[in-house]
Amino acid sequence: MTRADAFSDREVAMCIVARMIEDGRTYWAAGGGTPLYSVLLGQKLYAPNAQYVTEDGVVAPEPLLPFEPMMTMVASRAVHHALYWGTMNTAGFHAQLGHMDYGILNTLQIDQHGNINSTVLGEYGPGSRRFGGPGGADTIAACCWRTIVITDQIRRKFVKQVDFISSPGFLDGTPGARERAGLPADTGPWRVVTPWAVYDYLDRRLRLIGRVPWVTVDEILAECEWKPLVADDVEVLEPPTEEEVSLLRTELDVRGQTTDAAGSWITWDGAKYVRA
Amino acid sequence: MTTVTSTATIEVLREGQGAYLPVDLDAFRAHVRDHKDRSLTPRLMSAKEAVSRFVADGDYVAYECNYLMRGPNAVVHEIIRQQKRDLWLAGKFTYVDVALLLGAGCTSKADCGFFLSTPGIQKAIDAGTFEVFEYSNVVMALRLQAGAMGVPFLPVRSLGGTDGFEHSGAKLIRDPYSGKPITIVPALNPDVAIIHVHQADVYGNARIFGTGISDVDSALASKKVIISAEEIISTGEIRSAPGSTSIPYYAVDAVVESPFGSYPGTCPGYYGSDPAAVMEIFQAIMSDTVPAYLDKWVTPFATFQEMLEKRVGLQKLLEMKRREAPAREGYRA
Repeated sequence: MTRADAFSDREVAMCIVARMIEDGRTYWAAGGGTPLYSVLLGQKLYAPNAQYVTEDGVVAPEPLLPFEPMMTMVASRAVHHALYWGTMNTAGFHAQLGHMDYGILNTLQIDQHGNINSTVLGEYGPGSRRFGGPGGADTIAACCWRTIVITDQIRRKFVKQVDFISSPGFLDGTPGARERAGLPADTGPWRVVTPWAVYDYLDRRLRLIGRVPWVTVDEILAECEWKPLVADDVEVLEPPTEEEVSLLRTELDVRGQTTDAAGSWITWDGAKYVRA
Repeated sequence: MTTVTSTATIEVLREGQGAYLPVDLDAFRAHVRDHKDRSLTPRLMSAKEAVSRFVADGDYVAYECNYLMRGPNAVVHEIIRQQKRDLWLAGKFTYVDVALLLGAGCTSKADCGFFLSTPGIQKAIDAGTFEVFEYSNVVMALRLQAGAMGVPFLPVRSLGGTDGFEHSGAKLIRDPYSGKPITIVPALNPDVAIIHVHQADVYGNARIFGTGISDVDSALASKKVIISAEEIISTGEIRSAPGSTSIPYYAVDAVVESPFGSYPGTCPGYYGSDPAAVMEIFQAIMSDTVPAYLDKWVTPFATFQEMLEKRVGLQKLLEMKRREAPAREGYRA
């Protein structure tokens, strides 16, 4: 594995998630974009027997890549050579039954207890800023055994309390809060991944456990409006490899729609990685 | 023998405050009895006739999948042409449809699973001319399933604990069997469902290939059902592979022959999308210029077919078909 010389923020996040993909497990990837590309990258490089489903009830496809723009579900290339073709309720029921080990999703805003907001910024109602809504994420966050959230490391995204809980984390953070709301037992947030950092949860509170070599813990904390817990030993993560970024660029996100949507570039200056 | 304990009432622990389409099971049954045609009578008609007979102002409308993926776009265009007003949309699994229909002046409400929020939607919410109720994609599909089962509600193991719950018609109850909390959501029986399928006969026996969202449930749950089909096939062909029938005729009110009816989106197995035209609709909704989009793609034409002939052309359509060839496996009866 060679360290890559140049890559984008979004590529870093996808590579980190790809390395978390566990062989022989099932993943429900929300929508297209970073969740789906992370699973595909992990499957191709590290966990050939990891399987995924998407909201349209496709089970374990072998997609014909690349996708046409926006065509990451339902379209024939996305559902190609699957083991099963179902519907949205298929995906929901299979998750309810416990068949989905992991869910991977994006969010606009996340709080100290892993609740996520993709609905509105500001107080709900006229005047607040409207976004798309939970889509499949509510079911993913409620019913998969473990949930991985991918988001950008931006101050306003990491808050004490989200403006609107679109999809559930640990709710108010008290033991048993999810079960009291009717959600399946022993499920919930597991990791949060940004282009800079990895977080887990300690007693249902967000905790920084990993950072990329080119940012410090203090820089990460400066990009969190609400400060997470910090592990005693924050692991320094390996940078993306040439293999990873080349697969992302030549087979998966070939148009760069996901990669180039936000963030900055990181390059190797001969001695260290620097942010552009 | 175990003793059965009876509880006088089911305890409601929490209630969402969102308005929802009222559920009236016996009114739905009566509608089916009085208006659904259970005889094998042909119901093939034009999109124009189907929309004018079966879509009314103020109707609750469910569409399947969406404008980009096997959407019933020929029927959507006709709804826009006939200037239907005040529709309440089942906005699940949606990129552009809600913004398109809002920009066309056709809708005033949506139940949200997911739809791309746009400047037009933002403006309408702020002005109070567009109202949103909060669910999620799967919860909307489950509501349709309850509607298709003829039952008033279904329990679900998501939505509880969210703020969406608070703005929905959901309730958290104590499960009268286990005593544990469980969320229930109201059934959804739309006034009208519009569904694009691969094949149908003239009676409405319909085949859908590939994955989907809630096609079959929407068809069975809705009072009025318009099917648009890529191909009209014979009833003999339907009878030769009954296991491939997705929707039986008696749920269906109108069948519209619509080759390339999901343009500019894909009809999986039949043709890929037109990426440039897909980007155009995104640009239109994100720049709040839906009227200009409609002036180019919808209103100048009497029919969707005429739009395909004059605006798109055979060459493009054949190219979309050719591009789909490597991925055609699995899309047949």
